[in-house]
Amino acid sequence: MTEVRIAGLRKSFGGQPALVDVALEAAPGEMITLLGPSGCGKTTTLRCVAGFLAPDGGDILVDGRSILDVPLRRRDFGVVFQNYALFPHMTVTQNVAYGLRVRRIGAAEIASRVAASLAEVGLTGLGDRLPRTLSGGQQQRVALARALVIHPRLLLLDEPLANLDAQLRQEMRALIRAVQRRQGITAFYVTHDQAEAMASSDRVAVMERGRVAQFATPREIYQRPVSRYVAAFTGEASALAVTLRAAHAPDRYTVGLGDAQMEVPGAAGLSPGSRHFLMVRPQAVTFGPSGIPATVREVAFFGATQQGEVELAGQALRFVTDPNERVVAGETVHVTLDPAHAWLMPEAAA
Amino acid sequence: MTVPLRLGAGFVLALIYGFILLPLVVVIASSLTAGELMQFPPQGLSLRWFARFFADEALMQALVLSLRVAAVTTVAVTVIGTMAALAHRALSGWARQWLRTGLLLPLLLPELLTSIGLLFFLYRIGLGKTLIGLQIAHAVVTLPFAFVSIAAALDQLDPALEDASNSLGASGWDTFRHIVLPLVRGGIVTGALFAFVTSFDMFTVSFLLKPIGGNTLPLALFDYLSYDYDPTAAAAAAVSVVLAIAGVVVIEKLVGLRNL
Amino acid sequence: MSAADASAARPAQEGARVPSGRPLTPSLSRKGRGRLRAGPWLLATPAIVLLVLFLGAPYVDMVVMSLRTAGHGTPYGTGFTLHHYAEALGNPVYLGALGRSLMLGAIVTAGCLLLSYPIALHLAKAGRSHLFFYAIVISPLLVGVLVRNFGWLIILSVSGPLNQVLRGLGLIDMPLRLLFTQGAVALGLIHVFVPFMVLPIAGALRKIPPDLAEASDALGAGRWFGFWHVTLPLSFPGIQAGTILVFVLSVSAYVTPALLGGQGRTFLSILTVQELLGSFAWPLGATLALVMAAAMGLVVLGFLAATRRLAERTAR
Repeated sequence: MTEVRIAGLRKSFGGQPALVDVALEAAPGEMITLLGPSGCGKTTTLRCVAGFLAPDGGDILVDGRSILDVPLRRRDFGVVFQNYALFPHMTVTQNVAYGLRVRRIGAAEIASRVAASLAEVGLTGLGDRLPRTLSGGQQQRVALARALVIHPRLLLLDEPLANLDAQLRQEMRALIRAVQRRQGITAFYVTHDQAEAMASSDRVAVMERGRVAQFATPREIYQRPVSRYVAAFTGEASALAVTLRAAHAPDRYTVGLGDAQMEVPGAAGLSPGSRHFLMVRPQAVTFGPSGIPATVREVAFFGATQQGEVELAGQALRFVTDPNERVVAGETVHVTLDPAHAWLMPEAAA
Repeated sequence: MTVPLRLGAGFVLALIYGFILLPLVVVIASSLTAGELMQFPPQGLSLRWFARFFADEALMQALVLSLRVAAVTTVAVTVIGTMAALAHRALSGWARQWLRTGLLLPLLLPELLTSIGLLFFLYRIGLGKTLIGLQIAHAVVTLPFAFVSIAAALDQLDPALEDASNSLGASGWDTFRHIVLPLVRGGIVTGALFAFVTSFDMFTVSFLLKPIGGNTLPLALFDYLSYDYDPTAAAAAAVSVVLAIAGVVVIEKLVGLRNL
Repeated sequence: MSAADASAARPAQEGARVPSGRPLTPSLSRKGRGRLRAGPWLLATPAIVLLVLFLGAPYVDMVVMSLRTAGHGTPYGTGFTLHHYAEALGNPVYLGALGRSLMLGAIVTAGCLLLSYPIALHLAKAGRSHLFFYAIVISPLLVGVLVRNFGWLIILSVSGPLNQVLRGLGLIDMPLRLLFTQGAVALGLIHVFVPFMVLPIAGALRKIPPDLAEASDALGAGRWFGFWHVTLPLSFPGIQAGTILVFVLSVSAYVTPALLGGQGRTFLSILTVQELLGSFAWPLGATLALVMAAAMGLVVLGFLAATRRLAERTAR
């Protein structure tokens, strides 16, 4: 069980900062996901931890000891690459055995550990195949087995599901999470897919232009985002400009939206009288006989749901409803917002 | 394309491909003649001129010298070229560009000018008309062939494979031996073969830097063509053609032409 | 998996991007790799030493040699003079030879271009048989200049197959003297250098996205129009590279002119080697070599300047 602390990590490429000041930590056995769009620094962070890159500043502590001076090959971290990076000239068994072979471990132990590892990822019987004869999902399983067989102190996964189709992705996500939990390995997981991040991690770090924008549990990230950026990246959200009328508790406020008023949760310490943004998830929107009047701009049928956009007090608001509810573009509806799926953010945080 | 146009295009292509192959076919056919004269088409078939070639002491000495120079050149250039190609892979930016350009220079500069420069320089450092001097010159001129081929193979190698190997605990040498070397073997073999053939066939460099008493096969062949014009020369030439074909077969057997 | 598949399957590295869209981390995996951190230059050292010492120094030496005085009983004297440049640029024998060499280069380059373009088009398009035709183009490279010239010696000789065919067809009564002419030299050189022209052009053609030709077709352009306005201009980088290479190589060629050329009005490369090896006049030989290099350089620069606009537009 390994604990990791990353502090003040900086890295530039050709004078352009890629990591500005990254701070993260992982408790033993925790799965941390780095989430963000391409170019936000998530892969750079992972590559610094793995040792493929040397950071310009900051430190990475593993179990309290800096690893910056530990050469890559002595870190004992298992890395799973986006394109698998299986050795094409070696069989599945040879690929998995490689990390043990270079550690000069005895043949008998290698054989038993490789067999156990292949069984764990469900590849028993495919040991003699070459990687190119396997499907993408099978290749990713080999990559996972190869990283796990060395009993890594840390598991690092760089967009491991990016090259798989939707169904395999779900299967692999479950497998990775199950193995990680069973072995209690601390893991860092890089992805740009918010659903993947939500479903399979203990904590998520949303990254934005070389910094960690928010680092919290998936639930908190989704329900209490610190900025519009985080809100938008963790799922569909509308941002309504509202006026803060009064504060009740440190994190409960009354806001005015057009002519209507409502009570919503929000970030602590916002001052009344100023304009803020109300983040509204689509599922907060319900239509009924009473509420704030709005015009339906568009609506589309998605099978399990019906989604679209209404115009409310001159602002766009996304909604999701039951597919059988009658919503027609151009008609007027009455909107009620469920405060549980709304969150008030200061305007500056945009 | 209309049918006549397609036929016309095919005819033109066949003519040009024929033009490319013609001299090689003629030389090999002439070497198989049973007659006394060098002529095409040959008069009857025999291997007598090959027997004559292998019995000719001067030509044999030249053949042995050529093979020796080419072998030493190949080993030296393959090792140096592989190291340079690894360096080229590890570098980036202007350093990478300069290294590449520098290593390609011997290929871009006219062989005649390089030979003339070496004629002066080797003489001044006391290596004029020596086998070592000739050997060095061959290495300089063939280095780009080895480098280009190996560097191209390395370019095709996914850097993540080396990252994966290192992250699994392999040392730099382990990674080179178990991952890089097996995966670029084709490029190295091809580069070595090109270096060998280029050295074996090299004329201008050897002509200007010819060591005292040391004739390479192309030089001996040149003398032969200038003085004794008989089918022995064709046999000698055919031997070098066969050598080239053998090289291609070796590549195909070892790495497969498709992997080039 | 073939090499091409491997590179296609390799996804782009994530790289931090500035607003201009320039990837900041294209070389993520080149830097800080566990191996070679101090090593690249160490690994390159043998090659660099070899080239600086035995390629750089000899060329410097050639310049120094051209300024030496002529020696008596030795290849060169101890003093320095500009006399050899006056000789090389003033003597009609050398200037004539230089002119013939440059003309030869132009003819050979044009001939190679003419023969190579159809082959390059074919190679760029050929499917499964690609390897076979590729091997045909490469094969002469593996055989050596001497052997190929030798083939032409046989073909062009007075009793050779070409004269036989021409007589058989009734085109001539007496065998023609084909060998030891400037035409024979040009023919031999064209044959030697065709692969050097084919390979860069085929490379450039293969880089042209096929949908460009389809777009041209779809716009209703005829085959020839499309070829003339799309394919040909876009292959220009290959043509440019091949042209320069073949021109420089054929002007400085020695073996083919020596074997297939006549004794009389000869080429500068032959005269240069005669001065060096026959007369042991090293300073004059060095000067002639440098004059040849300078003349080639001027022609190449002129060619680059003349084709600059086309090259800029088609560069990728």
